[in-house]
Amino acid sequence: MPSICFYFQVHQPFRINNYSFFDIGTSHFYEDDKKNEEILNKVADKCYLKTNKKMLELIQRHKGKFKISYSLSGVVIEQFEKYRPDVLQSFIDLSNTGCVEFLAETYSHSLSFIFSKDEFKRQVEKHAKVIKKYFNQEPKIFRNTELIYNNELAVFIENMGYKGIVCEGVDRLLGERSPNFLYNAVGARDIKLLLKNYRLSDDIAFRFSDKGWKEFPLTTDKFKNWVHDIAGNGETINLFMDYETFGEHQWESTGIFNFLDHLPGSILEHPDFSFKTPSETIASYPARNIYDSHNFTSWADTERDLSAWLSNSMQQEAIKKIYSLEKDILVYGDSALLDVWEKLQTSDHYYYMCTKFWNDGDVHKYFSPFDSPYDAYLYFMNVFSDLECTLKNKKLSSKKLSSEISVGSYKRGRKMKRTGVSAVQAIALS
Amino acid sequence: MLGWEFPPIINGGLGVACHDLSTAMSKLAKITMVVPKSSPDFKVKNMNLIGINNINVETFDNAFRNDMSDLPFDLQSIPFDLNPYYSEGAEASGSRGLNMMSGKEKLAAFNIENLYGGDVINKVFQYADITSAVASDIDFDIIHAHDWMTMLAGIKIKQQTGKPLVMHIHSLEVDRSGENSKGWVYDLEKKGMEYADLLMPVSNFTADNINRHYGISKSKMSVIHNGSVPVKPFKSKRNFREKTVLFVGRLTRQKGPEKFLDIACKVLEKNPDVRFVMAGVGDYFKSMLEKSSYKSIGNRFHLTGFLNQERLRHLFSVSDVYCMPSVSEPFGLSAVEAAHFGIPCVISKQSGVAEVLGGALKFDYWDTNKAASNILNLLNDSVLRKKVVNDAYKNLNKITWDISAHKIVNAYSSNQFY
Repeated sequence: MPSICFYFQVHQPFRINNYSFFDIGTSHFYEDDKKNEEILNKVADKCYLKTNKKMLELIQRHKGKFKISYSLSGVVIEQFEKYRPDVLQSFIDLSNTGCVEFLAETYSHSLSFIFSKDEFKRQVEKHAKVIKKYFNQEPKIFRNTELIYNNELAVFIENMGYKGIVCEGVDRLLGERSPNFLYNAVGARDIKLLLKNYRLSDDIAFRFSDKGWKEFPLTTDKFKNWVHDIAGNGETINLFMDYETFGEHQWESTGIFNFLDHLPGSILEHPDFSFKTPSETIASYPARNIYDSHNFTSWADTERDLSAWLSNSMQQEAIKKIYSLEKDILVYGDSALLDVWEKLQTSDHYYYMCTKFWNDGDVHKYFSPFDSPYDAYLYFMNVFSDLECTLKNKKLSSKKLSSEISVGSYKRGRKMKRTGVSAVQAIALS
Repeated sequence: MLGWEFPPIINGGLGVACHDLSTAMSKLAKITMVVPKSSPDFKVKNMNLIGINNINVETFDNAFRNDMSDLPFDLQSIPFDLNPYYSEGAEASGSRGLNMMSGKEKLAAFNIENLYGGDVINKVFQYADITSAVASDIDFDIIHAHDWMTMLAGIKIKQQTGKPLVMHIHSLEVDRSGENSKGWVYDLEKKGMEYADLLMPVSNFTADNINRHYGISKSKMSVIHNGSVPVKPFKSKRNFREKTVLFVGRLTRQKGPEKFLDIACKVLEKNPDVRFVMAGVGDYFKSMLEKSSYKSIGNRFHLTGFLNQERLRHLFSVSDVYCMPSVSEPFGLSAVEAAHFGIPCVISKQSGVAEVLGGALKFDYWDTNKAASNILNLLNDSVLRKKVVNDAYKNLNKITWDISAHKIVNAYSSNQFY
């Protein structure tokens, strides 16, 4: 009795502005406010609101038989709060149907697992709190940024209490095996892996409107048949994709909403098929085998590895430098600075710096707010330099503070404290 | 005078030098300056400035000699698309067959939006045609051409009029493209310089290069060092703690951008609290970003892209050391500008400015160890810094365009050009 497991990724980064060398030390606001608002508004109108409305309608129409899941990055939720609370409300409405599961991820859609386990854990915990706050769900299934995955991640995330993890079904690791079963991870106890069926997923996400594709146009009937063909040779068909597929990557004029409208009904025509959330899926089936991913894999580009973010020296330099600040941010930074640092970890910044050619390069270009990967790097490093300066100043003033306080009178310090004068003012006054 | 870059179009040092030099010259002689493009509102006192773009097509003489077959030497095999200077977005125009056109048509077709883009050779030919026609209506004693782009025009005018031809050499193909580059531009330079009556290289360094690479005797040369227009220096507050080392110029092989990166790495090894800033664009832009990231100094190595004068001066006002690691620099005016700002200069010996700026620390461009230690010394040793800056100040009195202009006029007269 196979089931379909839908998971949609919802994410928008806080893009940085064309931050020049001359801004270093003067401007500490790095976001391109205008562009971020503009893009969010555009995607909200073309995709989020429309698709959410359609999903709600489908859930109601199929009386609870249509189920889906989302992963919303912390930063996209922040953008909803800031620019489009109506979109956030429409996700809350979906959550209230009981047919929608929200997954865990890193707060800023970061690559932190690769660079700092502490930061990774902090971000996953922070994200879970936001999900709880808005959707009243405690995530049980984890998805890492862009489905970046390896065995170690499965072990780590299991130790954090998660029951399942979604990842790419990479051909070279599956071999002859099918992605349409649950797997266990090497080294982990019983956390279950949901592997993306990338063929069927990408038929919708990438090929739907591709006129050069031999299956074009993709009809619900055709797709339904491919899904039903799996009967007897699989238990869960995991269709994972960017939510922006609906209305943004595939425009409304391609017929994508019409396709979506008919899809659940068509699939449910077969009495053996159903829709399940990831949590229901892992509760329903045993793991059939072990999926061994020693190296990192992801769902990005044709390589399905980390090369989208970390293949050239600019990307590596930028991200190494960002994580080199971790200790100082935690010791000397305030919550605002932590916030800035966290957002600079967003994987998109490094994605824009990618210099790979051919089709994947085009995809990078499509998403990038910059003219070239070199610009993306240049502005990012200027931003980094400013953050580094701010942090250094804090560090120096805190050292100065502590040394001056230690030579000052204890009594005076206490008095100042009682009268509500801050330590900094106390130094100034003395 | 025949110029190529000129305000309002300035690509590099040539435009500045031509403008400032001709302005100083105009106090001593009657100057007509013909340039491809100028703005009608842009006037220079005592100078007849003709921008070809402003010539009225209708009033233009139809029947002027526009045939290159009468050149005093053979200039065959012209490359189609040649770009001696880096220029973003340059594309080949591909329009040829100009010899079939009338003078009027030629003038109408003369489009000089981008001085070095696309088929620059074609533009050089067009400029020569039109300028030699313009010259036939003007009264003058001496032809003074600036660099290879105007050489052909100078040659044609000399042929037409028999007037003495002076070639002012601001830069050579061997500076721009390396010692082994012997292409069409090199040929034009060589033949043009041989044909000229007098050469005025901007430095002994360039005079040596002309002698060594073009086989022309120094007896035919009169070195005229560039001057500089004094700027009122000012200091601005740096917005970060780190001291700043500045590079200004095109990011291209000739200017040694990779040497600058090497130097930066060596300085940062000893003192991580320094920022290196490159102001300019060029074909090394991307590789500078790649290499500085590879060297893991991305947070200390900054590229500003193209800067206007105001921004550039601001950058001077916050910099602590100026570094010019040029591989082959005929002069290097920006070092003089840095000196005006009271910034100590660390410059390569392979530059003309090294001959006149005694108050500068010098190194062979390949000796990046020495450059790095010079920079570290200047950053750490305020006594040394003060001395270098003061010495340079003393040199500045002698680096003026008026002095250059007087030398030029003296050379004219000692060669009995008028």
